[in-house]
Amino acid sequence: MMRTALFALPLAAGVLAAQTPAPADTTARRPAMPVLKVDIPPAGTLVAITNATILTATHGTIENGTIIIRNGKIAAVGKDLSVPAGAQVIDGKGKFVMPGIIDAHSHSAAESINEGSLSNTAMVRIEDVIREDAIGMYRSLAGGVTTLNILHGSANTVGGQNAVVKIRWGLPVDSLLFAGAPPGIKFALGENVRQTNVPQTPGRAPRYPRTRMGQEELLREVFTRAREYQAEWKAYEGAMAQRRKDAKTAEPLPPKRDLQLDAMVEILEGKRLVHAHSYRSDEILMLLKVAKDFGFRIASLQHVLEGYKIADEIAAAGTGASTFADNWAYKLEAFDAIPFNAALMAERGVKVSINSDSDERARRLYQEAAKAMKYGGASEEEAIRMITLNAAWQLGVDKLTGSIDVGKDADIAIFNGHPFAPASRVEMTLIDGRVFFDRNKAPTLEALIEAMKRRPRANTTSGGDR
Amino acid sequence: MISRLVPIGVAALWVAGPLASQAPPAAPPVRPSAYAITNVTIVPVVGARIVNGTIVIRNGRIEAAGAGVATPAGATVINGSGLFVYPGLIDSGDRMGLTEIGSVPGGQDTQELGQYNPQNDVLTAVNPSSVHIPVTRANGVTSAITSAEGGMIQGTAALIDLAGWTPDEMATKGRAAMVMTYPRVGGGRRGFRGGAGQNDGADTQNRQVQELYTYLRDAKAYNARSNPVPQNLAFAALGPALRGDVPVIFDVQTEGQIRGVLALADTFKLKVVLRGANDAWMLADTLAARKVPVVVGPLTAIPDGDAPYDAIYANPGVLARAGVQIAFQTNDGGEGDARNLPYNAALATAYGLDPEEALRAVTINPARIWGVADKIGSIEVGKVANLFVTNGDPLDVRTLVKHVFIRGELMQWDDRHTQEYQKWRARPKP
Repeated sequence: MMRTALFALPLAAGVLAAQTPAPADTTARRPAMPVLKVDIPPAGTLVAITNATILTATHGTIENGTIIIRNGKIAAVGKDLSVPAGAQVIDGKGKFVMPGIIDAHSHSAAESINEGSLSNTAMVRIEDVIREDAIGMYRSLAGGVTTLNILHGSANTVGGQNAVVKIRWGLPVDSLLFAGAPPGIKFALGENVRQTNVPQTPGRAPRYPRTRMGQEELLREVFTRAREYQAEWKAYEGAMAQRRKDAKTAEPLPPKRDLQLDAMVEILEGKRLVHAHSYRSDEILMLLKVAKDFGFRIASLQHVLEGYKIADEIAAAGTGASTFADNWAYKLEAFDAIPFNAALMAERGVKVSINSDSDERARRLYQEAAKAMKYGGASEEEAIRMITLNAAWQLGVDKLTGSIDVGKDADIAIFNGHPFAPASRVEMTLIDGRVFFDRNKAPTLEALIEAMKRRPRANTTSGGDR
Repeated sequence: MISRLVPIGVAALWVAGPLASQAPPAAPPVRPSAYAITNVTIVPVVGARIVNGTIVIRNGRIEAAGAGVATPAGATVINGSGLFVYPGLIDSGDRMGLTEIGSVPGGQDTQELGQYNPQNDVLTAVNPSSVHIPVTRANGVTSAITSAEGGMIQGTAALIDLAGWTPDEMATKGRAAMVMTYPRVGGGRRGFRGGAGQNDGADTQNRQVQELYTYLRDAKAYNARSNPVPQNLAFAALGPALRGDVPVIFDVQTEGQIRGVLALADTFKLKVVLRGANDAWMLADTLAARKVPVVVGPLTAIPDGDAPYDAIYANPGVLARAGVQIAFQTNDGGEGDARNLPYNAALATAYGLDPEEALRAVTINPARIWGVADKIGSIEVGKVANLFVTNGDPLDVRTLVKHVFIRGELMQWDDRHTQEYQKWRARPKP
């Protein structure tokens, strides 16, 4: 069944409404606000994408290939597959198909980003502040993105819990959460945490820590507390087990439940993935040491612009690196950033992803990934993996998505040309085999101009305005 | 073919001399008398491609270009087999040389106090040693319109080459345009920096528009006087713009702003260039009829909340098809986007801009808009040798830039990023 959701999507007109005309201009026009009909695709449809060039991300490129999607999963991929009866066929002739893009660093759709009042806010959750109608998510979807890692900001050393979502545009917010994704948390090091690049709020005491030394100390402090808390609970659970065996044992008093420490203990137990905002090589080495000392693994270093200096250490720690393609110089700790970072880390054995950290870059991550080929000579498939499978691995969902392999979720982006070629754009984006973006049905500028031509207008300065 | 990282001639030029001081052996100032790039596909941008051509560069200029051009005796030869030559790319808007590191205020000369600063000469603050310059030219961007931001009139914009020892030497046109903003209502779309000319409401905007008219009226009256006393340096600086001798760049976005600029241009007989202009598609035919050039970009931006998702990407194509002369800007304020100028153009080609026009929009079109088409913007005999050699389409991210010439000089791979890459790639395993 096709369900339909209605979003008021005013096209291009809102700005004009607020724009007072200039003295010599009295003709500001205001196109009527069309309503975008969002067709919510039915789940579980049998789909076949035929005759396409398929960039699998794991086993090369398949020319004239076919993908069969059953119950939202990739049921078959290869050449010379027969299309099952009753399948909805997407003609892939001349098209390039790649795994849906995974953005390992996003703040899209979060109504607030930073709970920066404390240096440890492990108890707050991004999933509580996501709105399903955030237009930035739709635009990312239109750029082939299917999965977002929505992170807390970088205001404090231990930030809030992240949310991994699939952009099932049009569905209610709970349906966006990626069910199989392990929980995670944001850490942050360096300049942003020190709060030295922003004016201090008058009358407010500066927040500890103010240095990179303080950041290490804070981490060791909070994990020491977490170990003690963990021990208290273990003791309690041990006593409870004892009591179950022997009813004469006194009932133990449970420790006070602490949501902040709960999250920290999950990190210690490897149940919560740490995504750590970091720039300089020295602070990264510090974090890797702290994690080693407390017996857990950092899942991903975020930004990691100096990762190329210590790629061997990052690789040895089994930690992923999620970086920008070529942004640099926007602050002091980004001054040593080089566009060769991604390829050089990959060359040294690090699993690298390229992220957006922005609703703008998220729209064209495929263009960003191509830069890893230009700067440092990553292979095409490695570059594709940097925005798909490697990001999935960093988020702990690589068994579920990130490549075009049988058994995985059918998260797929379809381009009109090679994703790295200059004139290519996304034509269609599928999540779980459901078409959530189709350019032919999308409200494009071209469609708007056509609509405006048809609409009778009065009172224009010249006849030729579009 | 020469390797990417050791350009021709460098090895030979590094002659080890006696160590007279605590310094590396210096490269003696020996330059080849001429260069010849042979067997290369020449993309002149004006006119058809030339296959198996040769380009001769001497005294900073293109001495010859075409098929069947002989290699002069003594010229340093670059075998261009399998390669392409394009004219150097021109970024029609950034803050090159004015900013070094975003978070370090000591390096920021991007924004003067006050709203009206026509007397500010941007070339004064261009730092020829900025590390952004070699990083940017390494991708084939050889020239840029650099200017300040903030306020209503920012001062002059300079067209500079991305090489040279002093600001004056870098300038192809030191006062290429006057830069202004037209007031708009409400917040901008440019994130941290904020859009110029923003304000808090329609009343404020009206007041700002009146102020702008009054200011220009006063400046016009001042410039009509002979030997005015006391002198007003700000008004005097507006003379060339008010006489129509140099264009006025208006950094605007909305339809309302654009209409406002057109009215202002009529009132003061200004030669205007719109820049930014995400909503220019709404007035494409008008702009074409009035021959108003539009510098689009950065395309790496997000539309205002309610615009079609592809509005910014598709805007250049709509304008070009209507006959508007377009160019591109990166608006790089020190974040490192200027080298991505060709990829701005690439995004437009994905959404309707003809690829050949996209290439012109980063070469000959801006040269024409800024009045320097006799010097740069295409590969033609007699023009300044601003050009670069690639292994493919410069709009394709995967394409490698092999050599960059600015004013006939072969640029060294001495940019910060290449150096750091080489240094750290050689780090032994710990």
